Amino acid sequence: MFKPRPKQAEVLAYRRGFMGVAAVPGSGKTATLSYLAAQLLAAMAPDEDGEILIVTLVNSAAANFARQVNEYVRADGLLPGYGYRVRTLHGLANDIVRGKPTAAGLDDQFSIVDERESNVILAEAVEAWARRYPEAPDAYLAPAYVNNGRYRTQKWAEILTETARNFIKQAKDDLLTPLAVRRLLDVYPGELLLAEICAEIYSDYDRALAYRGAVDFQDLIRLALKVLRDESDYLASLQRKWVYILEDEAQDSSRLQEDILRALAGEGGNWVRVGDPNQAIFESFTTADPKFLREFIAADAVDGRELPNSGRSTRSIQQLANQLIAWSLLHPQRAIRERAPLSKPFILPTPAGDPQPNPADDPAAVILSAEAYSATKEGLMVTESCKRWLAQNPEGTAAILAPRNARGAEIVKLLRQAAVPYVENLNSTSSTRAVVGALARLLAYFADPKNASKLAEVYRVWRRDDRDDPAAVAEIKRAADALRRIKTVEDLVAPRLTDWLEDIIVEDEGADAYQDLLAFRERVGAWLRAAEMPIDQLILTIAGDIFRDASEIATAHMVALHLARLAQTHPLMRLPEFAAELYEIADNRRRFSGLSDDEGQFDPDAHKGKVTVTTLHKAKGLEWDRVYLISVNNYDFPSAEANDSFVGEKWFIRDNLNLSAEALAQLKALAEGSAYCEGDASLNARIDYAAERLRLLYVGITRARKALTISWNTGRGAATEATPLLALRTWLEGEREKEMTREPQP
Amino acid sequence: MICRRKLITPAQKRQLKLTEAQLTILRAPLNAKVWLEGMAGCGKTTVGVNRVLRLLERGAPAESILIFVPQRSMAQPYINALRGQQAYRGGQVWLQTIGSLSLRMVEMFWFLVAAEAGFKRPRELPNFLSLELVQYFMIRAIEPLVDERDYFASVRIDRPRLYSQIVDNMNKAALVGFPISEIGSRLKSALASGVEQAHIYDDAQTCAMAFREYCLAHNLLDFSLQLEVFRDYVWATPQARAYLRGRCKHLIVDGVEEDNPASHLFLSDLLTTCESALIIYDRDAGFRRFLGADPASARRLRDSCELKATLDETLVMGAEMTALGAELAAHLGVSVSGEGDADPRPALIAEAQRYHPEMVDWVARQVDMLVNERDASPNEIVILAPFLSDVLRFGLADGLARRGIPLRSHRPSRALRDEPAARTLLTLARLAHPRWAMPPTDFDVVFALMTAIKDLDLVRAKLLTEMLYRRGRLLPFSEVRSTAMQERVTFDLGERYDRLASWLNRYLEGERNDAIDIFFRRLFGGLLSRAGFGFFDDVDASNTAQNLVDSARGFRWSLDFMRRYEAEIDLGLDYVKMVDRGVIANFYLRDWIADAEEGVLIAPAYTFLLNNRPVDYQFWLNIGSEGWSRRLYQPLTHPYVLSRGWSAGRLWTDDDEQHLSRETLGRLLLALTRRCRKAVYLGYSELSESGYEGRGLLLETIQALLRRYAREGQHV
Repeated sequence: MFKPRPKQAEVLAYRRGFMGVAAVPGSGKTATLSYLAAQLLAAMAPDEDGEILIVTLVNSAAANFARQVNEYVRADGLLPGYGYRVRTLHGLANDIVRGKPTAAGLDDQFSIVDERESNVILAEAVEAWARRYPEAPDAYLAPAYVNNGRYRTQKWAEILTETARNFIKQAKDDLLTPLAVRRLLDVYPGELLLAEICAEIYSDYDRALAYRGAVDFQDLIRLALKVLRDESDYLASLQRKWVYILEDEAQDSSRLQEDILRALAGEGGNWVRVGDPNQAIFESFTTADPKFLREFIAADAVDGRELPNSGRSTRSIQQLANQLIAWSLLHPQRAIRERAPLSKPFILPTPAGDPQPNPADDPAAVILSAEAYSATKEGLMVTESCKRWLAQNPEGTAAILAPRNARGAEIVKLLRQAAVPYVENLNSTSSTRAVVGALARLLAYFADPKNASKLAEVYRVWRRDDRDDPAAVAEIKRAADALRRIKTVEDLVAPRLTDWLEDIIVEDEGADAYQDLLAFRERVGAWLRAAEMPIDQLILTIAGDIFRDASEIATAHMVALHLARLAQTHPLMRLPEFAAELYEIADNRRRFSGLSDDEGQFDPDAHKGKVTVTTLHKAKGLEWDRVYLISVNNYDFPSAEANDSFVGEKWFIRDNLNLSAEALAQLKALAEGSAYCEGDASLNARIDYAAERLRLLYVGITRARKALTISWNTGRGAATEATPLLALRTWLEGEREKEMTREPQP
Repeated sequence: MICRRKLITPAQKRQLKLTEAQLTILRAPLNAKVWLEGMAGCGKTTVGVNRVLRLLERGAPAESILIFVPQRSMAQPYINALRGQQAYRGGQVWLQTIGSLSLRMVEMFWFLVAAEAGFKRPRELPNFLSLELVQYFMIRAIEPLVDERDYFASVRIDRPRLYSQIVDNMNKAALVGFPISEIGSRLKSALASGVEQAHIYDDAQTCAMAFREYCLAHNLLDFSLQLEVFRDYVWATPQARAYLRGRCKHLIVDGVEEDNPASHLFLSDLLTTCESALIIYDRDAGFRRFLGADPASARRLRDSCELKATLDETLVMGAEMTALGAELAAHLGVSVSGEGDADPRPALIAEAQRYHPEMVDWVARQVDMLVNERDASPNEIVILAPFLSDVLRFGLADGLARRGIPLRSHRPSRALRDEPAARTLLTLARLAHPRWAMPPTDFDVVFALMTAIKDLDLVRAKLLTEMLYRRGRLLPFSEVRSTAMQERVTFDLGERYDRLASWLNRYLEGERNDAIDIFFRRLFGGLLSRAGFGFFDDVDASNTAQNLVDSARGFRWSLDFMRRYEAEIDLGLDYVKMVDRGVIANFYLRDWIADAEEGVLIAPAYTFLLNNRPVDYQFWLNIGSEGWSRRLYQPLTHPYVLSRGWSAGRLWTDDDEQHLSRETLGRLLLALTRRCRKAVYLGYSELSESGYEGRGLLLETIQALLRRYAREGQHV
């Protein structure tokens, strides 16, 4: 049973109106919000048809909410889902648009292209544009690269795709159609070359979507707002339906999300926004800004509250996080300081008698490394440290948090080499990838059915339920090895004149192995006969045979839908291409969006005795006993200083221009009719990026319960320790010195 | 002692099964015009069937009886009854829909009306277009216009749907009775928002006019034009009127509420001259709104009947089911009289699952339990969902097949390109027609060989393709140089492969230019249906092949006249392209015959309703889906704004939408429960097939019912 602490009780006293809550990490904001939802639900009149709308950032959080509220609902004898709905912004936009698709120019059957498909369409549009204008790179390539063929084509196309993606996203956020952008360009006094380029690509991209009867995620949100603005009576009915709006992670709300929720809440509506402005880490090239939440909380008409108590971390870790806030308030770079990247409240420990007391403090468990490691050395250091700690703490949880997926993958490789037990949570969860990987292996075999090695892989997939049984492992290996050696696969899977099974296995392996392979042959034979079915049906057929767990079957189901959609838009895709697609996901090279909401629902406590490797972004909302923050150097955590380099500024682009930032600035100039000055936006982007990375560091620090190690590496040689890390280290050393010189208390 | 057995006539035997109320109506004078209304499950159609038989028994010539229904499937009880009867004098009973009747009449009186109706070649024969052909001509007539002028720029909709909505508007105009030139203005006048949307309606109007011009120029009749020609020209000729009035003496109209104003107008005219009539009207139905159904317009026919009768006593439901239907409907604002005070809960079984496949599995287990533990007949179980995706259908079919439970699935259409047998024939056609410049992919050839050659497995099919498929042609088996490789394939299969390859190569080298349907027929009949080949003894594959032949032939026959306009037209190539676009569907009659087999029925809810057959158990799946209550949303058209009852200039508001959703669902639930004897099972997964959480009106309604009992302390 949830026992609120005093500050949480203040929030739970909410009954109506607007409320804004600033919560620190580990303050139990999600639990408080879920409990508030359950309370409001219980208080609703029995004949009331209204619902509580809970909006959150990611699917995994949505699933957590649903589970918590459902517990209450089930206890009342109802089906789950009664009286509330939990949605991400995309889910909510989807609900709104599907309720009135015609007002958005869509029909019932409209489809939503995922990130992958959207990238493909965009890449095609860029490619077509680049072919039409081969001289275009001259305007932006640095002199050293102007005559380099690879940079004129491949690299130029890559950066143009990235730039156009950000431009299109922003234009959609600004509710500007390709035609509207075109009209603005026609009347703008002066030339905005990047905007001209991106506008044309935008137009082609949009036409391609229209032809498919599809929208992208950004459209969905834009159209939701359009529908709400255009259809006042529809808006009114939604306002009646959603009696309360509870918004979690409000610090990451984009301007459109805020507009949508404000419209849905309406004048005098009921809207509770909870968030931590210090954890806003999804703002790059978006209209999100943590200042919106701060301003909301401070507004007169809003009941502003705080949840400052957190029982998650030791006092030393909390003090380190608080010091980062304090330092940022006095940030040496004025431009960053003025952005107020981090703000109060400071994190307070939980009061005495709290059900979640802070772990016992151990100042020595906070280690900020001064060592200038190479990237490999840093990895080895962390790997070794993890290995030691896990051996001593088999019931403990640990995580290595990397700033980027690629860095995480490097660490995984080292952990594997050092035989450190780990779980990987990078692009998709490992269970998702296991399912997708199993299906990929099967499809790869169907695409190349005479390949004995692939058949052996299929055998392993078929025996996947036994893979944790030590006795079976050797047996599986024996059989798989035997299969791999088959010269003529058809003699096993479809024997006619000779039967491999009769000839070989009986003598070698005995009756059990024979029966096993006989059953395998029967199953593979059935799959091979099914291989010509439409791809979705093939996947479902296989899934029924190899998966037992409900969530695995559900994942396979989503794979079936995903491939069916691909087949529809790419009529020439066949088994080899489908297999390749699944390998992309299984090998973590591609996110699998649109999967069930369990995707990303990662529970660190389910992996005791192992180290989790994930990114700082994916770690949000999670906590471990011991946390390693790696690569905290001035490349991944720049501070807009002279020697910092920025991810968005490519070496082959002239004048250190950040093309995405410049394109967005041109769009802004168009929309506002204001002047544009080349280079300003690139500088500004440095400040924004530095501010966001500071918050990312804060998020990383606050993931740790008992122990925290922060280290950095020199990257390709030139990277230095990140300025905030240096500041924290200096402060910590000073504190420790003070501690050591302090007179012992009697 | 003399024993006298009392003989009863077939008519008396039938009447033994009727209720007193049914008998009273049946005994109405045979020259009377009777209006019969009531709710579903009260035996109205039974009265209609008996009325037809009575007319025949009393000597009415069969051909003087016209049975008029909104769609052919609704005539099934009549067809069944007449099939079991002795031959009656006077030919055959007429069974018509407005579509079939208008086609026949336009065909008969074409030369009388063609010039006046505006056709540019009135001395040439008309060409009636199926939906597929309408798409074909839409592509020709308006696609260039749409591309060139950037029409429909603000809508996201794929081309087949775009065209079908333009056609839909034209059909609505014809069914309701307003000129197609008013489509755009009517739609715009009901529009509350968005200038963009107004542009779209203008574009839709322009395209409709362009298509109509094209049809008039080429003697093409889509459904809307066919109906207009019938209504405005044919029916206006004394000859046509005399013909129909002379023939139709006895009128039986069933499901009149599901028909459209054009039908009602025609019927109202016919009612003035026929000798007798029975018009059957279901008070709570009118489900085919999206196809122009107009219950209010239907009800006007009541005044043309001198006898009015009502049947209101259910022959299907028990008290609990009655209460369930009434309670659900009442929550949605649909009032029902006489629901009683029974507790509806025993009639409702609900269980929630997290994932969609879990729900499918639950359904299969429940069906298994009903069949094997409660001795329910599979025929008495239906599984209903608002939409039936292939994935859902396949999942259920698989789950039931694993339990040995027979299944039938109402699948009105499925793209022919999705059928392996059809794909095989199409791949082989591409191999045989290099001039199309559409060589199949390697994998298509692998699958084609596997399907075409009996016992050829995927491994050997792949080997053959890799070794012998070169530059769009299949080389002979002898081209495999290594004996070891030949042995791997086996000579037996190699010989079959050779027969197929040489058949194709002979065709190709002979530079034959058979029509595509003839090519398919020759390939199927001359080779693939023979022993040793894949279609031999395979009923499904043969059916699909036959469908493909029929469909291709229909395509050719319908379009042969195009050669007059385009000498170079290659109808074979056009046909294959249409199949590739997914336009050509596998929905020929023999699939529907297959549907008549025994088994659990899986169907969209409305399809089940229009079949009008009660069952013991119903499963309602995906109850979180909005599809249970919502009309089809189509940006270019609007079934209500384009209906007869819509006042010009009135705005379509969200209140209208909400009211409509509630009423639609209320009526649907009422209609379903009235066709259910024992229990309704609810299939619900928190996450839908696509991973979304559905919160539709049906779920909300069910929750309200459960909540009411939960709050009363009576946990369900």
